[in-house]
Amino acid sequence: MQVLKTKRGLLWAWLIAMVVGGILVWGTAHDAALYRDPIMQVTSVKTGKATKETDDFHNVDSQTKQVLSGKILNGKYQGHQLTVSNVYSYSRAMDQKYHVGSQLFVVVHDRNGQQLTATAKDSKRDTTLVFMVWLVVALLLLIMQFSGFMAFLSVAANGVLFFLAIVLNGSTQGAQVLWIFGSLAVVFAALTLWLVIGANRQMVITLATTLGGTAFSIIVALLVFHVTHERGMYYESMQYVTQLPRPLFLAETLLGSLGAVMDESTDIISSLFALKRERPELSANQVFKSGRQIGSTIMGPLINVLFFIFVADTFPMAMLYLKNGNSWGYTFSMNMSMGVVQSLISGIGIVLAVPLASFLASRFMDKKKVTA
Amino acid sequence: MSTITVLGLVLLVLMVLVGGKAGAQSFLALILNFGLLYLAIVLVAFHFSPLIVTLVVGMLVLALTIFMSSGDDLSSTVAFIASAVVLVVLVLLIVPVENWALVQGFGPEDSEDLEGLSVLVGIKFVQVTTATAILSTLGAIAEAAMAISAGLSEILEQHPQVSTKALLGDGIAVGKQIIGTTFNTLFFGFFGGFLALFIWFTGVHYSFGEILNDKIFVSEILMILFAMVSVILTVPITTWVMTRAVAGQRKRADKQGDN
Repeated sequence: MQVLKTKRGLLWAWLIAMVVGGILVWGTAHDAALYRDPIMQVTSVKTGKATKETDDFHNVDSQTKQVLSGKILNGKYQGHQLTVSNVYSYSRAMDQKYHVGSQLFVVVHDRNGQQLTATAKDSKRDTTLVFMVWLVVALLLLIMQFSGFMAFLSVAANGVLFFLAIVLNGSTQGAQVLWIFGSLAVVFAALTLWLVIGANRQMVITLATTLGGTAFSIIVALLVFHVTHERGMYYESMQYVTQLPRPLFLAETLLGSLGAVMDESTDIISSLFALKRERPELSANQVFKSGRQIGSTIMGPLINVLFFIFVADTFPMAMLYLKNGNSWGYTFSMNMSMGVVQSLISGIGIVLAVPLASFLASRFMDKKKVTA
Repeated sequence: MSTITVLGLVLLVLMVLVGGKAGAQSFLALILNFGLLYLAIVLVAFHFSPLIVTLVVGMLVLALTIFMSSGDDLSSTVAFIASAVVLVVLVLLIVPVENWALVQGFGPEDSEDLEGLSVLVGIKFVQVTTATAILSTLGAIAEAAMAISAGLSEILEQHPQVSTKALLGDGIAVGKQIIGTTFNTLFFGFFGGFLALFIWFTGVHYSFGEILNDKIFVSEILMILFAMVSVILTVPITTWVMTRAVAGQRKRADKQGDN
């Protein structure tokens, strides 16, 4: 780790990351052998005529048939030449247009002895994914150097924890989702802050603020839910739900706001610690006031970050609703209302963390001197 | 009253109690941003080009978010110019990658939600998905640009004569402080939203290979990665814009001194 702090060590790390990443990107373009499902590489495309289609809402689209010829790259049909027919539309919401060189998963139909036929399943996307990860890591190391490496490490560590928690959730049939992700949030926060700040008093105060702010926001949300009887909340509009939606929604909100609250409390508390170091004569009340000052400038933008993450995601579905003749109000309720509720709850957590951070920092930051 | 109204009122009261006038302004910015986002969706549904709508709405959102938060003139202006530059660079990255990844529109996991809806609506979903990816990073770009330019303007206040070269180093140093926590905001923000999808994957026992090539999964992970790229790029770009602004100011000051 220390070697990464020197210029030469860093340059080497960067070069290694570039080369390893480059090999990985190239490798995923040639990794068909690793897959069990047959993959076909398109060698020629014959495109038919487009036919115009109009739906019940006067949306005009077109559909085109293409015949793809190609070679199977893996499995027991490796090397076989196949032709697959594929239909794509102008809008391409649920279909794909393939080109020469595209790699796609196919389902091969083997009717003993007769010629092999196949149908197109889906495009192969791992190369793009690995390329983007590679780009992020390269930029991080290049611009942020050692801190970039640590940031990446904390994201990777959290990713692993997240995966384990999902597996655990699956093994309990989702009955304990809120408890699992609630305790995960504590572990997440402690691990991340330890990586970012180190194990010291500042980290303990930041952790307490993060957990307190997030917990308060959930409590406020539950109170409001109780008072309004959850009017205007459409749990049925949540996507990909395979278990009880209400605890799942709360778990999503809890996780979503955790990062932002942590971000904010780190900012406020580290500024206050720096302030106190520079001007030790400041009283606890003055420190509290500065904390509120700092916090009130950063809370707005942070709420915005989460708002765009939670709500922008609903763009394609909301647009489709509008194109299918639904009213603006219904489109909002069925697509965006849950995201807006999530943003508001997170916002409440972000705002509550400001006085909490200022209070905890102002009262507890020089306890060390008293005990020493 | 509906839950959204009550939660909104609670948030407004808290923001005013904690932040006073600035808090009320931030709340207003949030509402206006929602309006702009919805407007973007409606415009695209009326067949305006998704990319142009996103660029225009994106600029407006950045301006609103940055100028309606408290901050001095210099740091707000720098933050806005820098975030606008980042937005343009990001579009240049997202457009080819989205076209390459083929993750537009909806996946097989959406079938249930799509029941009864016609998907042949005559709007290119590659562009819609690109617009979604760009819009979802707007908040993060604005926040990072504001943090960097505020940090730099504080340094300038304390050391007014700092050289532009030293300022470049300072910008990266400020960036290093915020990058770790900003990444976590993004990670948790996005993963909080995808929790249900990931539970689906494990519940239905997707293989590793299937997940890595799944349309929805790749599209969501790409969104996080775009957001991370935009935050990383914001650091040097904001610093650079700040040095240009300071250099310009000093030149003007010198000229006035000569006269």
